[in-house]
Amino acid sequence: MTPASSPDAARRPTRFALLVSGIAGRTLDVAAVAPGERPWTDGTTVFVDAGASATDQIAALAVQASLIAAGSLEPRIVRRLSGRPALARRYLAVEGHRALAANSYLLPPRVRSLIDRDIAARADSPLASLATALGREPIASPPQAFGAIDPKRLRAARDRLQATAPTPEDARRPRHDARRELDEHAGSDDFGRVPEPFSGSTGGRGALGRLLQRMLALSREPGGGLQGAAAPRAARLVAGQARGTRLATGPAGALEAVAGVRRQGRTYPEWDIHRQRYRENWCTVRETDPRPRDPGPEVITGSPALRRPLARLALGLDRRHRQPQGDDLDIDAAVEERVEALAGVPPGEAVYIDSLRRRHDLAVLILLDISGSASMPSPSGQTVHDQQRAAAAALTTALHGLGNRVALYGFYSHGRSAVRLVRVKSFSDRLDATVMRRLGALVPGAYTRLGAAIRHGAAVLEDRGGTARRLLVVLSDGFAYDYGYEGSYAEADARRALAEARRRGTGCLCLSVGAGTEIAALRRVFGTAAHATVARPQELARVAGPLFREALRSAEFHRGLAQHSVHPRQQLKIPGR
Amino acid sequence: MTSAVRPFYVPAGTEEQVFKAAFRQGLSVMLKGPTGCGKTRFVEAMAYDLGRPLITVACHDDLTTADLVGRFLLHGGETQWADGPLTRAVRDGAICYLDEVVEARQDTTVVLHPLADHRRQLPIDRLGVTLTAAPGFCLVVSYNPGYQSVLKDLKDSTRQRMVAIEFGFPPPDVEEKIITTEAGVAQEAAAQLVRIGHAIRNAQTAGLREVASTRVLIAAGLLTAEGLRPQDAALAAIAGPLTDDPLVTAGLAELIGAYLDGEQA
Repeated sequence: MTPASSPDAARRPTRFALLVSGIAGRTLDVAAVAPGERPWTDGTTVFVDAGASATDQIAALAVQASLIAAGSLEPRIVRRLSGRPALARRYLAVEGHRALAANSYLLPPRVRSLIDRDIAARADSPLASLATALGREPIASPPQAFGAIDPKRLRAARDRLQATAPTPEDARRPRHDARRELDEHAGSDDFGRVPEPFSGSTGGRGALGRLLQRMLALSREPGGGLQGAAAPRAARLVAGQARGTRLATGPAGALEAVAGVRRQGRTYPEWDIHRQRYRENWCTVRETDPRPRDPGPEVITGSPALRRPLARLALGLDRRHRQPQGDDLDIDAAVEERVEALAGVPPGEAVYIDSLRRRHDLAVLILLDISGSASMPSPSGQTVHDQQRAAAAALTTALHGLGNRVALYGFYSHGRSAVRLVRVKSFSDRLDATVMRRLGALVPGAYTRLGAAIRHGAAVLEDRGGTARRLLVVLSDGFAYDYGYEGSYAEADARRALAEARRRGTGCLCLSVGAGTEIAALRRVFGTAAHATVARPQELARVAGPLFREALRSAEFHRGLAQHSVHPRQQLKIPGR
Repeated sequence: MTSAVRPFYVPAGTEEQVFKAAFRQGLSVMLKGPTGCGKTRFVEAMAYDLGRPLITVACHDDLTTADLVGRFLLHGGETQWADGPLTRAVRDGAICYLDEVVEARQDTTVVLHPLADHRRQLPIDRLGVTLTAAPGFCLVVSYNPGYQSVLKDLKDSTRQRMVAIEFGFPPPDVEEKIITTEAGVAQEAAAQLVRIGHAIRNAQTAGLREVASTRVLIAAGLLTAEGLRPQDAALAAIAGPLTDDPLVTAGLAELIGAYLDGEQA
């Protein structure tokens, strides 16, 4: 039941969530019971009567929280109570007092008066309470505040929890399905028209429609560059690729010109872990522009919270002469000052050398994963794509606002010959509403050839970054998957690509936002590159500072090792290690 | 710097013995623990017990080696060396306490290495001398492992030159005693505050970066001693400092209301 029956937010039982978590010692939520029900819990949420007085609600919450804290609702107990309401009531009458007494230190004063010490003394564990309840002795029925134990729903909730724990397989499966269904569809339709509902950006309904839409999202970028009405073009493009045609290496010239793609594709090697060697010129990466005429909604970046942790980032430590204070004397300034003093000119006092962080010296390229897996729902409700996009917008705005050079690209792939980087903001673009609308127009689709995208991102950074310090930020759920690119092969290639970039002095940083990817899975893909996973974009501010610093430090370390034409002044900026 | 009366500190374990043993053996000490659990007060009490002056440096991320060791200043036509706090402690045999040492730049903490190990020396390259620490010198650093970051950490080479003492929040009876003494409130009021503190520490909610420390509980006690209603005191001293999030604040207010029973609407 939703709290819709009590529209006043301040009166919602959710406000007690912190209290109930404090009493139970674990994070619990609070919601309103269905009308006529007694307070109960499913182990993660405590349900109370929103209409009762605050004191009664607190008492009911404290009882349920104490039951959870005292282990009274362990599966082995709950199993015994199943289907025996009278036993459950007798058990609650004993165990409730025992649980409260065991937790009495943390109980609010009024709740403590509920405890019947005599009954509490009859059992010293949930099992003992169960034994007492199974016995023949009379037991006074539990007070109203004790609510009820609902074995059925407790078990159902626990099963649900176990079932929804995400596994990498779960996250991957829908993409396979999508491909299979699409193949079938394309086969039967033979490049023909896609029925109308699928062609609109919001028209698709039903599972197949949504899946198709996810794939058809390809048509929003001019990568295919075919002409004609929207629906057939999308169908043709996707169908062609689903059948394995190398579209991107086809007779590109005229089509690309029409589509407005200015650059030829660039080829990159791919690391084959099975043979322990590179496959030269294996992937073709092409940059594309999002079509300007279908701009999406502008992505709003609200919080300035990211600015602070990033503000001190990669500010070059400059040795500044003629400072009013500092670590060392500036001899030239001191001599001049002396001469002036002897000549009768009032002397200045700026005679020190100080190390100040003033110069922004950082180029950041953000790679945003817009493959189909990003359209998965995130635990917080929105899709992973929404969350990642918000994070990308926040990072771009914060870094740009601080005076760094920032570029933002989305990436997806459709086989090794069709890796696309969608230019949302290049280094030279101004950061304005157009950029944010282009970002808003991105729709996730297709697959993730992570290694090629990273290699191209790193190359762009080196070519056009224009600063000594470079940072590549990859926003991805960490699932690398494409044709002939999965599992350990894909993970090894992505790791390799990151290591290559680092060896050339580009810091790498990988962020998973809202995808719920396990840290172990991220580590397989991102290796030793600095990486983190956060549940919501808002939590970025917490991890951003140290993560960025770590990424930069590792890059500088490599740069120092490689002796990559380090300018004498840069050596000053490298803090000792 | 040593005060006339012993700063109030109630030991929760063997930390006093460990510290004094390390001091006598010339070992450096690292204090780990959450903010507001009594690390600074502990050092003050130890400095008093051992009869050594205490020099405290609050570290920040622009702290340079020169800030710790010293620098040349220009006076008239002459250069004049000015000792930094660390050099002063080394010369005088004082306890040098570097608070939140992870905040300092990593190149800065390296200057501590020869001081922290068996050499007990401070090389000052600007003067071209190497000072040997006077008897009674003790290097103490503190840091908060959970604070700020997963990655900002002390270097292993620094850590392994130190003896570590872990701090947690004191057990309820000790914490009650601390609040009664520090804030001058009645036992019952202190017990209520401690219970609130424990419930908040217990909640493990994602909305709070840090839990209610002994320090904020004392602050709430001090406000109560000034005549404020317990709820208002707790809201101002506990809920306010812990979070800016309106939802979490509301949750904290309910929690405080449940424990400071009676005047609730």
